[in-house]
Amino acid sequence: MATMVVDKNFERERMTSSIAMVMTLISFSMLFATLMLGYVAYRFTSVVWPPLGMQRASLEIPTLSTLIILMSSLSYYMSESSFLQNKLKAFKNYYFVTLLLGTSFMVSQMFLWQNLKLTGIFVDSTVFGSIIYAFTWVHAGHMVVGLLALLFLIPSLRGKRNEGKTQIWLKSVGQFWHFLGIVWVIMYFSIFIF
Amino acid sequence: MAFYEQHIHPKPTTFLSKYIFSFDHKVIGKQFLWYGILFLFVGGLMALMIRWTLAFPGQPFPVIGSYLFPETGGAVPPDTYAMLFTMHGTIMIFYAITPILIGAFGNFCIPLMLGARDMAFPLLNMLSFHLAVISGLLLMGSLFTPLGAAAGGWTSYPTLSTLIGSPGVGQTLWSLAIFVLGVSSTMGAVNYITTIITLRAPGMGYFDMPLTVWGLGLTAVLNAIFLPVLGAGVLLLIFDRVFGTTFFLAGAAATTGTGDPVLFQHVFWIFGHPEVYILILPAWGIVSDLLSFFSRKPAFGAKATALAMTSITILSTLVYGHHMFTTQMSPLLTQTFMTLTMTISIPSAIFFTNWLGTLWKGSIRFHSPMLFSLGVVFVFGLGGLTGLYLGTVTTDLYLHDTYFVVGHFHYTMAASVLLGGFAATYFWMPKMFGTLMNEFWAKIHFWITMLGLNGVFFGMMLVGYGGMHRRIYNPFIYEFTQKLIPINTFTTWSAIVMGFAQIIFVVNFVHAVFFKKQKAGDNPWEVGTLEWTIPSPAPHYNFKEIPVVKCGPHELGNPNVSGKDFQYQTEELA
Amino acid sequence: MKNKIFTEPVLKNAENLGFFEMLAPPEDISANGHLIDWLFNYTTSMNIFFFVLVCIGLFGFSYLYHNKRHPKPYYTYGNKKAHIIIATVVGIAVFLCIDLMITGFSNRDYTGVFINWPDESKEDVVRVQVLGQQWAWNFRQAGKDGVFNTQDDIVTLNDLRVPANKKVVFQILSKDVIHSLYFPNARRKTDAIPGRVTRMWIEFIKPGTYDIACAEMCGTYHYRMKAKLTVYEEEDFSHYLTEAQQISSAVNDPEDGQIYWGWKWTSASSSKKIGMNK
Repeated sequence: MATMVVDKNFERERMTSSIAMVMTLISFSMLFATLMLGYVAYRFTSVVWPPLGMQRASLEIPTLSTLIILMSSLSYYMSESSFLQNKLKAFKNYYFVTLLLGTSFMVSQMFLWQNLKLTGIFVDSTVFGSIIYAFTWVHAGHMVVGLLALLFLIPSLRGKRNEGKTQIWLKSVGQFWHFLGIVWVIMYFSIFIF
Repeated sequence: MAFYEQHIHPKPTTFLSKYIFSFDHKVIGKQFLWYGILFLFVGGLMALMIRWTLAFPGQPFPVIGSYLFPETGGAVPPDTYAMLFTMHGTIMIFYAITPILIGAFGNFCIPLMLGARDMAFPLLNMLSFHLAVISGLLLMGSLFTPLGAAAGGWTSYPTLSTLIGSPGVGQTLWSLAIFVLGVSSTMGAVNYITTIITLRAPGMGYFDMPLTVWGLGLTAVLNAIFLPVLGAGVLLLIFDRVFGTTFFLAGAAATTGTGDPVLFQHVFWIFGHPEVYILILPAWGIVSDLLSFFSRKPAFGAKATALAMTSITILSTLVYGHHMFTTQMSPLLTQTFMTLTMTISIPSAIFFTNWLGTLWKGSIRFHSPMLFSLGVVFVFGLGGLTGLYLGTVTTDLYLHDTYFVVGHFHYTMAASVLLGGFAATYFWMPKMFGTLMNEFWAKIHFWITMLGLNGVFFGMMLVGYGGMHRRIYNPFIYEFTQKLIPINTFTTWSAIVMGFAQIIFVVNFVHAVFFKKQKAGDNPWEVGTLEWTIPSPAPHYNFKEIPVVKCGPHELGNPNVSGKDFQYQTEELA
Repeated sequence: MKNKIFTEPVLKNAENLGFFEMLAPPEDISANGHLIDWLFNYTTSMNIFFFVLVCIGLFGFSYLYHNKRHPKPYYTYGNKKAHIIIATVVGIAVFLCIDLMITGFSNRDYTGVFINWPDESKEDVVRVQVLGQQWAWNFRQAGKDGVFNTQDDIVTLNDLRVPANKKVVFQILSKDVIHSLYFPNARRKTDAIPGRVTRMWIEFIKPGTYDIACAEMCGTYHYRMKAKLTVYEEEDFSHYLTEAQQISSAVNDPEDGQIYWGWKWTSASSSKKIGMNK
């Protein structure tokens, strides 16, 4: 940020949007926390898990999804820090890598649902199946919002936004993007592994 | 204190940008007010139909009955009755009280009382209203689906609300509407919190904010945290209904179910108990301010009131289990929830003392907002104390799901909030629309409403103590409810009186908004908070220059001030 | 208007009652219902005391400090020592007089009586399984063999018959949606939930017939989910039991799967979790 003249208002607007973003993320976390509460309730009141006649989902695709989403978080981080170091070319490249990884995460989810059906886990096959499907749906829904939020960065790529604004946008969208990654990792460990 | 100064935007000129797609918090506030009043009318009409059915089962509802229910000759049929009380609850809570208290007065008052030019995120504010409209349309649309609207009670417990109990589209639309409204309110809440943190006028600390803003801010915190919980709950309900998941299905009728219907109750009340405080906190805040303004002395123990409200906010998140005593939770949980519930009465007692302390040795002016505020103290006293029976396990075993509960929560949520809302409407009328409402008719409105309201809700508690359970269509069915019928009839007549009293309000309101020529002054009530330092009605940029706050919001009756008995917040404390 | 013939006599009856007769809760027929009534009355008297205080403040101050009578307000923030002490004292007084007391009483009654399950191995209790469905109550009492879900069980619809002066233990389940088994005359209710068995025990002491209702919204005809409770003197009950057993052995078709909706009885002390016996 050394090259930019720091507008007094800029610092404060950044504070404002980060306060709002924290509140928003608290809201989203409560949504996922409630789902997790449900999971915990079902998981620990059931005598056997997965319920009788069910087998666990195979781990390959979820693991792949986890890797993809972690990489996308990483590339987003690289993108943001390149922008802060004024490496605009790298900023753009990493941005597109993030977008690509985000999309491929969605594709991997499609494969996941396909694969679940093949292994005999259906939406209505006991609460075990319901949890896997419903939770991944909700997360995927938020991923769509996340991808749309990424698209809101396009004006910054094309230089249509001043540096301060871009920085605020990058930070807010980034917080949401990393949040989605964290949620997925928690879900991966809880509903697929445990 | 303000983090930054907002720019003055040019005044919008076209109809669309002025009234429909307006970013202006005052216009959005008014939009919410009209929206809320519209739904208040719909919900109130439903209430009258419910009351009519209970007092005169099988008799046609007067005037409009024969158009609405031609197949029964005008009487409300039992399935419609279930829809009516479900929609009445939903509409009143989510589409009338929330928009009026939080949407309208939250939007209108927060920036004005903080000395800001608008909300922190005007666009988000506008979207929040538009989502609320979409949600309202979804809900009203459900009335016209083949099997009718949702009919499982406003709590919509599964498995009644799953396909087992309600196969129609109406319940799905209901869940969807609640979800969308949740998103809308959460957006509003994030906006309010950010505004309160970042846009207070220079010099305004948190304890220099009027208590109204405290109430609204705490409400916003609860909204932002707990609406997503309900969101998750109804989302799973939608999945159960539409995609065939089995979260809430169990028992013989569920073919593959290993879910648990009680989980929904937990999720619902984790949200639902804070929700009742979401509804009442703004009213508490408004009343605390108005009592001080019209007693012409500072709010008694304002800091303690603010802290008491905060501690109630925190406690409210820990006590939800008292709604579920009859589901037989483990004894340990039951006792914990009971004990925690009881602790709420300490902060409640403190701010009751503070309210009365505000009146003590005041110089009370009985204008209509004050009358309504005193009304709130009275009815909330009754409502709060009757809550004790329901927080206690053993008495709750008897009273749970009886009309006693209905009477109790109407006293706390409906009566107090309604009166608080009226107080706020009469009070901020000049700032919103530039005119004062007719004082004489306002007082008539108050007394008739107060009589009717106590008749209705006390009557409900009486029949509840008599054992009459909730949501029944016909009290003639049971022997123990038959002897309560005269009380039911009395309740219904009270409800009709109360309903008709609102016509006075509507006429008075519409007249003041559209037809009244005589303008109110900039500060007709002679109080010192920031919104009264600017012209009436407030200009679109609110403050030409951002004010600098030098004293608290309740500086009235200071003997050192000469010429007037109050101080503006922008003046140095005398 | 066709309902008039039905409603008029009922209304006449009701209107002949005095005001307080009308308000009285249904007659208490259980051994422990008086605990609930007592706690209710205690809370009421305390509430009246504090509400009168509020009213004295509200109306008294409104009268005394009307701006015509009292034009000069007393300028105070209410943060003097005396003010804080008064507020605190009031807060603590309310907590001690009402909350702490009723929590204590309620805890004592709840753990000591209402969920203090009778020891079925030592005590002779009447055991009833209840299955709620839209919109009726099914009751099941074990036959001669004392085992539930067998052919000789006495199964009734909307008709519960129990002896007086004996503890009746209910296990409650629902077939479809959530119901709530409600005995207004015993001041008790317990939810019937699909997929999990809830329990309740009551000792009835007054023979007669009474209403059983469903207290939890369960659909359109929720209001008609009514059952009849008959409390017999003990010897009458044993007559009824022998008769009913003979009838049920004769009527029940052992091949019919429909009649086996019951489940294995496990006493509250021995097991916490019971599933449906499929």
